[in-house]
Amino acid sequence: MTATAAAIVSVDSLSVAYRSGGRDVPVVHDVSFDLRPGRTLALVGESGSGKSTVAATLLGHLRHGSRLTGGTVRVDGADVFALPARELRRLRGGTVALVGQNAGQALTPSMRIGRQIAEAGGDVPVVDLLAQVRLPRPAELARRYPHELSGGQQQRVALAMAIAARPKVLVLDEPTTGLDVVTQRGVLDLVGALRDELGLAAVLVSHDLGVVAHMADEVTVLRAGRIVEAAPTGRLFAASQDPYTKRLLASVPRLDDAGLAIVGEDGEREVRPRAVVAGDAPVAVSARDVTVDYGASRAVDGVSFEVRRGEVLALVGESGSGKSTLAWTLAGLRAPSGGTMTSESGDLARPARERPVSLRRRVQLVFQNADTSLNPRRSVGDAVRRPLRFFGTAGSRAEAAVRARKLMSDVRLDPALVSRLPAQLSGGQRQRIGIARALAGEPDVLIADEITTALDVSVQAEVLRLLDDLRRERRLACLFISHDLAVVRGIADRVVVLRHGVVVEEGPTEAVFASPGHPYTRLLMAAALEPEPASAPAPDAEPLVEEVPEWTDAAEPDDLWTDHGHGHRVRRWRPAAREGAS
Amino acid sequence: MSTLETPAPPPPSATPLAPPSATARAWRTLRSSRTATVGLVFVAVHVLIALLAPALISYDPLANNADQALLGPSGEHLAGTDQYGRDVLARVLYGGQYALGVSVAATLLTVALGTVAGCAVALRGGWFDDVLGRVLDAVLSVPSVLALLVIVTALGTGPWVIVLAIAVVSVPQVVRVVRGAALAVVPADYVTAARARGEGTWSILRREVLPNIIDVVCVEFAMRASWVVLLISSLSFLGFGADPPTPDWGLMVAENRTAITVVPMASLAPIIALATLVIGLNLAADGLSKAWGVDRIKEGA
Amino acid sequence: MLSFIARRVLAAVGTLFLSSILVFLAVQALPGDVATQVLGRDATPDAVAALREKLKLDQPAWERYADWMGGALHGDFGLSLVSGKAVGGEVGLYLGNSALIALVTVLFAVTGSLLLGILAGLYRDRWPDHLISTVSLVGMSVPEFVVATVLVLCFSIALPLFPAVVLYGPEASIGQLLPAVWLPALALAVVMAAYIIRMARTSVIDVMASEYVTTARLKGLSTWRVVTRHALPSALLPTLHVIALNVAWLAGGIAVVENVFNYPGIGKLMLSSVQNRDLPVIQAIALISAVVYVACNLAADLGAMALNPKLRTRGRTR
Repeated sequence: MTATAAAIVSVDSLSVAYRSGGRDVPVVHDVSFDLRPGRTLALVGESGSGKSTVAATLLGHLRHGSRLTGGTVRVDGADVFALPARELRRLRGGTVALVGQNAGQALTPSMRIGRQIAEAGGDVPVVDLLAQVRLPRPAELARRYPHELSGGQQQRVALAMAIAARPKVLVLDEPTTGLDVVTQRGVLDLVGALRDELGLAAVLVSHDLGVVAHMADEVTVLRAGRIVEAAPTGRLFAASQDPYTKRLLASVPRLDDAGLAIVGEDGEREVRPRAVVAGDAPVAVSARDVTVDYGASRAVDGVSFEVRRGEVLALVGESGSGKSTLAWTLAGLRAPSGGTMTSESGDLARPARERPVSLRRRVQLVFQNADTSLNPRRSVGDAVRRPLRFFGTAGSRAEAAVRARKLMSDVRLDPALVSRLPAQLSGGQRQRIGIARALAGEPDVLIADEITTALDVSVQAEVLRLLDDLRRERRLACLFISHDLAVVRGIADRVVVLRHGVVVEEGPTEAVFASPGHPYTRLLMAAALEPEPASAPAPDAEPLVEEVPEWTDAAEPDDLWTDHGHGHRVRRWRPAAREGAS
Repeated sequence: MSTLETPAPPPPSATPLAPPSATARAWRTLRSSRTATVGLVFVAVHVLIALLAPALISYDPLANNADQALLGPSGEHLAGTDQYGRDVLARVLYGGQYALGVSVAATLLTVALGTVAGCAVALRGGWFDDVLGRVLDAVLSVPSVLALLVIVTALGTGPWVIVLAIAVVSVPQVVRVVRGAALAVVPADYVTAARARGEGTWSILRREVLPNIIDVVCVEFAMRASWVVLLISSLSFLGFGADPPTPDWGLMVAENRTAITVVPMASLAPIIALATLVIGLNLAADGLSKAWGVDRIKEGA
Repeated sequence: MLSFIARRVLAAVGTLFLSSILVFLAVQALPGDVATQVLGRDATPDAVAALREKLKLDQPAWERYADWMGGALHGDFGLSLVSGKAVGGEVGLYLGNSALIALVTVLFAVTGSLLLGILAGLYRDRWPDHLISTVSLVGMSVPEFVVATVLVLCFSIALPLFPAVVLYGPEASIGQLLPAVWLPALALAVVMAAYIIRMARTSVIDVMASEYVTTARLKGLSTWRVVTRHALPSALLPTLHVIALNVAWLAGGIAVVENVFNYPGIGKLMLSSVQNRDLPVIQAIALISAVVYVACNLAADLGAMALNPKLRTRGRTR
């Protein structure tokens, strides 16, 4: 009982149910944990694990339609769900504060930043709070509206709002999901610093084991509303006991994997060597000096690359790097404003509807979000049959039906699912249908636009493996677009790093990861969080920015590259003189 | 991963394995939404009465009978008679024929035109959208009652004139609603996928867009129908709709209003008939939109 | 921000221009010869010729349009075919009387329905919501003339508080008209409020379910503060346009109600001029209604700008 006595948060056999269709659907079942002051506990799980529901109960909040079916939540000695309204209000903000995932939606659009922070109570002046979350020009910023801030800035404002009344416990619900990796790292470092500075206890909700390893002292793994394992971070990552945890950990791609990790039932991890691309494999797609403009702004600026049959080329970059624009341009959904794009079967510079059918079917796009890429009102079989019939790869209706079932088994799906609607499938299943639909045209080139981003980590591992199998079996040239370096490391043969529409570095995956030549690539790699707890217990001891030199572009029109051999080349740059905070 | 995630979707076993057919879906909706059921029953009863009126009552709704004028409700005339001695109940029962016939025709025409135009605008976009938007706004800017009055005085009060006139004044609003719904669908990746395949505009419209806005169109139909019924009755009330001996609710209220203290039923009966029909349509629209998650009142009036 | 206002105003002027063409065409393009239409089939050729002369029907349509518009911009809508008086003055007289009803209606309907709509939204699925929603459903299911008739039955016949019909002409003073304003205004307000209530309710429900309202609650703010500061500005935004549409709708709805009460307003003038085929008056009324419609929408757009900082700060850098 000593731990309980010292605990500031104590959740005891908490159960929550959601009322749906006249019956109770349990969301959280018998969850218990304690949190002592100054410590950080992570609630980890995949979507639907109930982790956010548990976190919100610390503030006495349940979503509309949910109710407490058992257990207690005590914060700072008070039973949260037994508090009268007035005291619950005092608890919220005063004792426990929440930072949500999407600050863009968590800030009231019609109120100035300063007023929203001031409202949260406390005696600290708003300007000081904004300075404390390392926002530049706080006095000016306080007068801004939320939509005038970038995503990272919004999240910092949400943090300022949370610490305004100097709470004792901070609940962080996926605080950096949706942020770019460099921004994420900055926000996490800030959270860590504030936590130590103010002596806060924190509950961190995350699906990202890298973030958890970086931030948490203790980890509680949830699955379908139940605790599967709870342990100190070091022990959990080094020697997890539960097979689900093991599988989860093993599924996370690492920056030092030399190939794709194949995860077994019990969580054993085996790295499959990269497929060897035949030296004489024909070039499937070749892009030269491609430029794409959106009105006055240039999204893609003079990008060149080649992909050979059976090869995976990764386009890596943060949001706004132009990587998705490039994908859509190749698929004929956007017109390039300059440069050439050709494939084995024709000119790719023309928009889709002007391409001959033989070309259209050979270049296929798989979308990021399988939820929106399938028509919710048509069966998934229909989604696969349509291109079969449309491209004429299946002659008759009956043949199309047979081929569709075959394609479904090709993407490791049960053909019996053919008559389901997309909503009746899981996210991973839907993404497989998206791939099957693309395969229906018997393409040479597959453009995969962030296809695993919306998926849980274990599902992501399966989809990546499928993609790797397919390119081996079908000798697909694959353009793999991603923001996640660790994912790219496992699947790509070559990497192209994009920044603001410009290629800053390209080369064989091994070479780029072993010795990144461009500071931007180094920044991306440094910011990526590995699912391994820092050996030193103070993660904030290594501020990110110091690792990477300030730089400016030094490319001349006739001298763009520094060549590192074997096709590894880096855009010219030079260290920049420091000029204050930028 | 949402901040406060929704509970896990019900296990697949809870949902039917095959995609439900349209009728099965409609049936499920009805079972799940009492509001929609009640509304549709109201409407169905009205349709039945209008169709079966000759079988339900033996009085001729047009037969004057000066001896029987202005009678209160009695066993012989359940709702009394009007100033010409016509049986009020007979006129109310027959009255639905005109109201429903003209309303259904006008609403069908309006919604069909509006859906096609709305989808086309959403898919095409650009200057086409701008120009059409301005023109429709200009049409909306003239009060529909005034526009109807002018058209009807110029072209006569024939049912087809009224149907066309109503289509002219109400298509713009349907276009707005459908355009809004279609605009939400057009940027979806499955439409993009169809575009990348090189499918034609019509095929995209039919295969990808329409199935996803059919809810909105249905709800709009019910709502538009209620609006049209009200408009037609107002027109009749003002003397520009149904021609006098025709049994029509709006006309009946206009005719019997002056005698409301003498034979209140002669005014109240058509009012009740009118109100129940419109309430039924509104309930149906409400229930369906709730069951299907359609944001119904986007446009208000 | 200025460019936003400028664009909206420009669009409004464009719409108005289109409306005027539409009104002109619709009225002038009545099938058959306009003069014959106006005078009826058995008019003498001389009379038809005289009217053609008067309406300048021999000139090309665009010239007549230019004449008409040029006059209209100066408030000169020509002469009434029935009374022979200047249309501008006549319409103005009736319009003033109608404005009295419109003012009362808008005042009551907008404030009342916003309050009720917000209340229903906040008490979603509880008894105040059920009550308000049911009443507003009935309100929007009953035509204006029915509401008016029922009101007459209740407050003029059963309880003789207000006059059932107005016995004055258009020149009546405000003092004479004032007692007769309340019932028509109430009838219009009931119908109009129904739509606004429903919209306000829906958008309050939407906004109350938003993430930022949840965040505000979890900040420990009082419900009052959450509702007034965080929820209402955004919830009113979509309601604004519905209010504008409904105020514009008054121009048509007033026609029916004024005829029930024999109120000497623009609606009554509208009906009688349609019956008499008094084209200049019809054109003038249609154009004025279009101005009202466009002005209401413009006001709603500007109101939206006041409520939505995204529109206000457009163009400012990050």
